[in-house]
Parts: sequence; C-alpha cells; structure tokens
Amino acid sequence: MAAGRGCLRPLRRAPRDGRRAGVAVAMVRAFVLHTLGGPAPPAAAPGPAAAPPPRCRVLYARAYEAPGEGAPARQRLRRKEQLLAVARQVTSQCRLLQAAAGRAASLAPPQLPDEPVSLQAAPGGLFRLRPGDPFSGPATVVWLAVLALGFALVCEPHENLLLAESTLRRLARRLLGALRLLGPGAEALLRAGHAEALLDRLLPHGQLLFLGEAAAQALEREAPAKALR
Amino acid sequence: MFTAAAEGLLKQAREIPEEELGRFVSHVAALLQGRDAGAEAVDCLQRLHLVVAATKYPRTLDGKFVELLQTVLCSPKYPEQVQVLCAAILREMSPCNELILSCDDVQDTKLLSLISSILLAQGDKKAEVSAVAQRVVKVLEGRLPEGQSFRHILPVLSNVISISPVSLAEEQINVVSKKMVDWLRYASTQQGVPQPSGGFFSNPRARQPGPVTEVDGAIATDFFTVLSLAQHYTEDQWLNMQAFSMLRKWLLCYGGEGLSTPNSDDRSEMDGSVISMVSTTSTSSHLLPPKERLREKAFEYCQRLIEQSNRRALKKADGELQKACLIEAVTILDIICKQDSSYVYRTLSSLKILHSRISGDVAFARALLPLAQFFLNHSETAAVDSDAVYKHLFTEIPAQLFHNPSLAFEFIQFCKDNSQLFTDTSSIFRQSFPNLFKFLAWNSPSLISEFVDLLPFLLDAGTAIEIFHLLLDLPCLTAALDIQLSTSCMPSARSTSLSASEKAACDPAVKPATCLEAFRHPLYKSMFQYLLRVEAAPEDSPERLIPLRQLLGSLASSPRVVQCAETVPVLLELFFSVVAEFADKPLINQLVLLVLQRSDQLYETSAFKDDVYRVLSSQLLTLCKLHPALLVELSKELLEFLASVNNIRNKEALFTHMVWAIGEYMSVSYDKRCTVEQINRFFEALEATLFEITQLRPLASIPNYAPRVITVLMTTLTKLASRSQDLIPRVSLFLSKMRMFVQSPAVTSVYCEEDREEILNRATELMNLLKMPSVAQFVFTPPVDVATTAFQRDANESLPFALRIVSRLLEGGAGFMPG
Repeated sequence: MAAGRGCLRPLRRAPRDGRRAGVAVAMVRAFVLHTLGGPAPPAAAPGPAAAPPPRCRVLYARAYEAPGEGAPARQRLRRKEQLLAVARQVTSQCRLLQAAAGRAASLAPPQLPDEPVSLQAAPGGLFRLRPGDPFSGPATVVWLAVLALGFALVCEPHENLLLAESTLRRLARRLLGALRLLGPGAEALLRAGHAEALLDRLLPHGQLLFLGEAAAQALEREAPAKALR
Repeated sequence: MFTAAAEGLLKQAREIPEEELGRFVSHVAALLQGRDAGAEAVDCLQRLHLVVAATKYPRTLDGKFVELLQTVLCSPKYPEQVQVLCAAILREMSPCNELILSCDDVQDTKLLSLISSILLAQGDKKAEVSAVAQRVVKVLEGRLPEGQSFRHILPVLSNVISISPVSLAEEQINVVSKKMVDWLRYASTQQGVPQPSGGFFSNPRARQPGPVTEVDGAIATDFFTVLSLAQHYTEDQWLNMQAFSMLRKWLLCYGGEGLSTPNSDDRSEMDGSVISMVSTTSTSSHLLPPKERLREKAFEYCQRLIEQSNRRALKKADGELQKACLIEAVTILDIICKQDSSYVYRTLSSLKILHSRISGDVAFARALLPLAQFFLNHSETAAVDSDAVYKHLFTEIPAQLFHNPSLAFEFIQFCKDNSQLFTDTSSIFRQSFPNLFKFLAWNSPSLISEFVDLLPFLLDAGTAIEIFHLLLDLPCLTAALDIQLSTSCMPSARSTSLSASEKAACDPAVKPATCLEAFRHPLYKSMFQYLLRVEAAPEDSPERLIPLRQLLGSLASSPRVVQCAETVPVLLELFFSVVAEFADKPLINQLVLLVLQRSDQLYETSAFKDDVYRVLSSQLLTLCKLHPALLVELSKELLEFLASVNNIRNKEALFTHMVWAIGEYMSVSYDKRCTVEQINRFFEALEATLFEITQLRPLASIPNYAPRVITVLMTTLTKLASRSQDLIPRVSLFLSKMRMFVQSPAVTSVYCEEDREEILNRATELMNLLKMPSVAQFVFTPPVDVATTAFQRDANESLPFALRIVSRLLEGGAGFMPG
C-alpha cells in the first residue's frame, strides 16, 4: 500500500465537449437513517421527569457525493449538517403528512419486536430541496417513516424516483431486521457493519439497481455479516 | 423507548474523554494485530465507528492507528466484515489528511471498491477522482483474475461519472461502451449455479442450471434483462443488471452527438484487441463506432423491457420493478432519440402502442409522465399528433390520483420541467390548471414550494381571474376532494340498492344533513362538479359556490384543510406580484372589485380569513398605486363598500387600507376625471362613517373600533378637504370635536390612554395643517414626480414626518432645517 504513495498517474483528460461536463446525471447523494424525534414522553412514562421531547437524530448516514470546497474539517461539518437538515425536513414532512391523514404519529414500538411491520402502509413521500438549502444543487428526497424511524435517500432531481422508492423500502425492510431497529435499546447504533454491508449490496456507491426480488435476495445472501456472527 | 436509548448512547459516544478513547483505540489496535481478528474486533470497530460518526466535529485518532486501519483494509488476511468497517471508519473521518491509501496496482475488485469509496470522499484535492477512474477502467480493460468480479467496480465507475464526467478520456469511454454492449445484450440466458462458498465460478459444478424465466414464470424468450428471473445469477447476468442501472447516466454523459464522431482513437479501438466477452452474434452493427453500437443495443434492451413489462408478475416486488423499468426504458429511449433522430420513428410507434396499453391502468400512471415527455420532445420531428396523450394525462390523472403523493410530486415536477407549455393559451396544458390545483390542495406541505415555481407560468390575463377564485377556494377544494375520496371509497352505492339516507340525499326537497349526502344531492351536485372541474371554465360564475362553501365549513377543522389554508396567503401574494407585471387597467379594476366581493365570500375559518384579509388589503394598495384612476372608475362600488360600518367590524384591515388609498390617490393629479364632486362624494361617505363610529350616544357603550380606523379616517378626510377646500371648515370642526370624544367617560372605558393620545395628537396635527391650506395641499398631494423621491417613497413614513414638520412650523420651532 505504501508503495502506492505518490504514484498517482498524471491525468489523462480528454478534449472536452462543453455539454458533457454540465450534464445533470442521476445518482443517490446520500442515505440517512434517523429518529423522528417525537412528542414529549407521556407523564406516566418511566424515566427522569420532565425530559425534553426527543429531537431527531441521525443514527446512520452515508454520503456518496464528493464533499464540497473548504478545509477538511469544514467539509465534514458541512456534510454532517446537510444530512441532519435532511433528517429534520423528513421529520417535519412526516408530521405534516400524518397530521393531514388524521393519524397521530405513533412512536411506540410494537408490542412484539418480531411483529412484521407493513411498509406498504408506512407514511412516505417525496420532496424537493432547493439549491443552496442544504445542498449546493437541487435534490429530491425520497423518505419513508416506520414507527419512530425515518429513512431517506437524497437523489439528484432526475433520478428514477419510483426505483428510488422501492429501493428505499427494500433497504428499510432489511435494515429493520439487520440493525434490530424494532428491538429495545439502541443496538442499531452499534451495528454499522450490517448497515454498510447491506448498502454496499443494495445501493453500491449510491447506484440504484434494477433488482428483482430474487436478485435482491441473492445479493443479501452474500453479505459477510453472518460469517462472523 | 428506542429514541431515548439512542439519545443516551449518542451522547456517550460524543462526549467520550480523550484518554478513554485512546485506551480503547489501543485495545482495538491490539485486537487487529492479534492472531484472530474475529467477533470482538468487529464489535470494537463498530463501537469506534459510532464514536467517529456521532460528532460533527473532527475526531482525531492516533496517526499510527489510522495507518493500521489502512493496512488492515488492504490485507487479504482479514475477514471482509473487518475490512468493511475499517473502510467505514476511514470514510467517516474523511476528508482526512493522514490518508496514504492509493488505488494504483489494486487488483482485487472488492478491495478496489472499498478503497475507492474512501478516496472519492476526500474531495478531489489530490485528483483522487481521476485516479480512481483510471484504475477502474484499467481493471475493466484487463483480464480478470480467478474469483474476481467486475461487478464490484462498475458502481464505482458510475459514481465517478456522477462526480466528474470528464474523468474519462475518449478511448476509455469507447472501451467501456463496448463492454456495456456485451453486458447488456449478451448475458447468459441460463441460470447460474448456487455457490457453496463465496467467489464466483470458484467451484463450477457440472449441473444443468436451466434457463432464466420471465416475471410470470414463462421461460425467457429472448436475451437476458433486469426483468429476467433466476434462482441464482451468473456473473454476466449481474453485470447486465448493473450496466442497465447505469446506462442512462452513461448515455447522458457520453452518448452525445458531438462525441460519437469516430476519430482516430475510435478507429484504433475498433481494430484493436478488446475481446468481447460473449461474441455470439456477428451483425453489421459490429462495424459501428462503439457509442453508436451501444445506442443500438440500448434501444433493443429498452424495447425488450417494454415488451416484458406487459407480463403479469408473480411477485409484487417484481411488478414494481416492471414499472420502474418502464420509466427507465422510456427515459432512455428519449435520450437515444435526442442523440440520434433516426430512432424517432421506430420508437414513436412502439410507444404509442405502449401508451394505449397502459393509459387505462392507474397502476402505471407514473410511467405516463416520461411517455408524455417523449411525445413532447419528438412528436414534432415525426409530425405526429399526440394531443390525446396530453389530454388524457392532464384531465384524467390529476382527477383520479390527486391523493397519490409521489405521483403528485412527479406530475408537478413534469409541469415545471415543461413550463413553456403553459405559455400557449389554447393548449391542453393551460386549460387544465384547475386539475393541477387538486394536487396542491391535497398535498400542500410537500408541494407548496413547487407551486410557487409553477404558478407564474399558469398566470396571464386570461386565467388570472379564475386562478384568483381558485386560490381563495383552495381549502374548499381540499374539503371537496376529501368528500370525493370518501364517496369513492365507500362500497359503491351505485351497484347496490340505495340506503334510506342515500335516498333522502337524492330528494331535492330534503336538505342534505352531511357533506357526503350533499355530494350526490341534486342541489349541490353541480357545485361539486364546478369546484372539482378538470378544465378551466372562465365563463362560469364562482358565485354559485356560496352554499357549498357553507356546507363544507363543517370540514374546516380537518388537518388537511387547515394545512392547505395555510398555503393560500403565500400563493396570493405571489399571485398579485405576478399579475402586477402584466395586468392592464380593466383587469386591475376587475381584481379590485373581486377583492371587495370575495372578502364576503371566504371559507369560514377565522385564521384563514384573517390571513387572507391581511394579504388582500396590502395588495389592494399595490393595485391602487398601479392604477390610481380605478378609484374614479369604481367609485360607485367603493362608496358602497365604505358606507357599510359592518365592513369595519369584519374586515378592518381591508377597510382601513381602502380608506387610506382613497386619501392617497383620489386626486386630480392622478386622474383628471377626479372632480371636486367626486371628492365631495367620498368625503361625505367617509364623514358619515367616522361620525357613526365616534358618535357618543347617551346610555350606550361605544363599540370598540381599532384606533387606527379612526386616525386613518380623519387623515383621509383631511386629505380630501385639502383638495376641495370648501370642505376645510367641516373637517376642522369635526377634528376639534375629537378632544371631547376622547375625554368622554364612554371612550376612556374602551380605549387605553395611549390610543386616546394618539387619536388626539393626530386630530391636532391635522387641524394645524389645515390652517395652511396650500401647505396641506402640497404635503398631501405632492406632484406625481415628487411622489417618487425618497421623501415620499415610503407612504407609511412620509405623512407623520410631514405632520411633524408642519406642527413645528406652526409652533415656531427654532433651528428647523428642512431635510
């Protein structure tokens, strides 16, 4: 590895077609898994009294686009804040959607951790992020809420959104299991390896894949997670 | 509760003390360097990942440890999961200065993928993107070692293209284009064999795997695509899926006309030695330059997908995939036809057939958008009339599927992408704007910002009035859609016998008890139909909606209606600012009348009405400023409005702004037709109103009007008097009585000290001003050109300033320097 240092070959840049550099190409810019925050816990709830209402927190996120300009620390800070901003917007969209549908956000986990959660009925949707807020260019967010969790894909505006939605549902379903998101405690935070393995297969380098159910299952079987567990 | 537990753990990870982290890192290092980096190492690395990821501030780890992570990542002796976690931690720390990783000379495709993910997160300071691109193409060009697979690095290439399409040179593009042709078109049609342990083709067993199938279970009839199913997939089938997944991006970046001209590089590549993986066919297309050949194969692939999407999928997920494939295929065909118009005729005919196949099936509704886009882009080239396609899309789809949030979003996005369509007044697109508002009415939180972009394109002199009504009725539309949806969800009343209450609902003599009943009630039916119309109906009178608005009032507290109502003020402001750019005088007059008229006919929720009045009153001023002559032209209607004390009570903001506008613009300097008689008429009406609200009646408590109404009325009367000076004694007398008014016990009980003082001060200032009629006239009616100077620009500031000047002049204030 050390032998590779400084061995970068000089760039071979082709003569440019002006249009080529400016094409808006579809890609997923980021995946975010976060909590949806929620109302203050009921008075009867165990735990310290008068706890503030939980805020939305990013549990796991992966960015696929190159960071912008600036010093490394600044770039990293900006990316973190961008992803948190997405999580916040998903949270507020989810609340508005649930309010409109006349459903109070049900944030309590189901009685049995293994109880299957229907993702077809889960609230979800699309919204657009304007250029500059929080990303430099425009973006479309595809989101899905399962109980107290939000899942979001930040896509380029002309991405195949139907494919993004089904990919997100597939990811959410698998992550719920692999990260034990419906179990008690916060084990999910300590299972980043599982999330990485799933994303590497179902959304490699931010590339949405056209996968039939059989192909998706075959990919999952390859996940190394089980090898060590 | 999960959220609370996560909160606690995150806090812990974020606040971990340096020395504790140091100890933990040494522990992890020892584990990694130990003989068997197993489950414990994985646990620790996951914990470390959390510590790095939980904070947005840089988390510096020991330099030696960072180096160790990179060594472990690159060493084949570690389990894949450990390597994945090392990569994840390094990526979490990115951009990271201590990185010594390089992708040069990496042969292992899985490792190349992991290293690339870290390098691409660095921000291209050291030309990492190009380095990754070069390496990936180099590996793709070469022979693959045993057990390796291209499919781990194809997504890397896709990511590189997204980040920087210019990273590939022309000859590299050609190499990959040729590979894409093979992957797309010549993947095996036999199923793969199950692998007992990782790696591809590591243990090829002699077993007949059987052919791949279609989504409906039939044996595949043609070449492999993403819609072909197998129990196990072969290497080239995986590459097929990945190649199609990145095909659109590839064509967009590298398929363009200007780049496809064969140059010397191309020719050398064509004669060169790149061996096709599966060269099963030998057609003349082999002679085409790589990009054109790829285009041709992409075309065939998309055509096959369209054909495959007609099959009935056995699994729900595969059915979804069919729809996503259809959207992708049509989009790619669009790109191909843009890049080479010789494909247009062939494509158009097959897409016409596709349209007639799917247009009746709402499950395929989202595919109609790229289809329509295709026809928009290419119908003209082929001289084909596609109006039926657009008409179906714009009339049927919004009306049926307004409640599908994803479709709504994409539909409005489509309208925005094609906003030029709305400029043709006679077009189907333009005519269908009432239908588009259904999307907004139902999905307002996610669509409001889209509509802010779209609304200006919908507005012109022909649509402004109808859109104004639509905006004011938007919460009603939400309520009506709610009812429409409920009735369509109910077990169909048409097929079964009508229940007693439904029978009653159909009796015109019986007033419907609920909104649901009203939906089918003969009296209300046509109102619902009007409100839910699919096309513009400029001739129709929105007046007829009055009873329906009252009826729908019962839904005013529904959260969806409330959400929609909250978006109306924003859109109204936008409406007026756009209309102000093109409105002629008749349109402005019409709008002012509508503002007054509709102020009585609003959906009954107090927050909504207050918001709407606030916007309308400020916009009324803008309209008067644009076209001051409207005061003379509409004097009859305005006098009527001003004469009603009720209007002060219910619509104080609107009333006050109207009165202020009269004082400001009712002047011969704005309109020569503004005679003394006109001024006197307005004066008398306003005087009567002011008298009415300040009249002290014995034994009766006075109603509490905002002090602002009184001061604005006084000021306007004074302004009018300054322009018709016979009125000065009258108004002076009136103003002098204000002292008595504010001191009367009835008034002191209603107005606070400050308000009373304000009223009295204003009356005194105005009286002072009227003592110098010529000054008053100048101050109140500056010549139009003076009105544009800074002194007069801020209407709210200039008058008090003028009044102060005059007061000080009269008081003989020394040292006054006019500004």
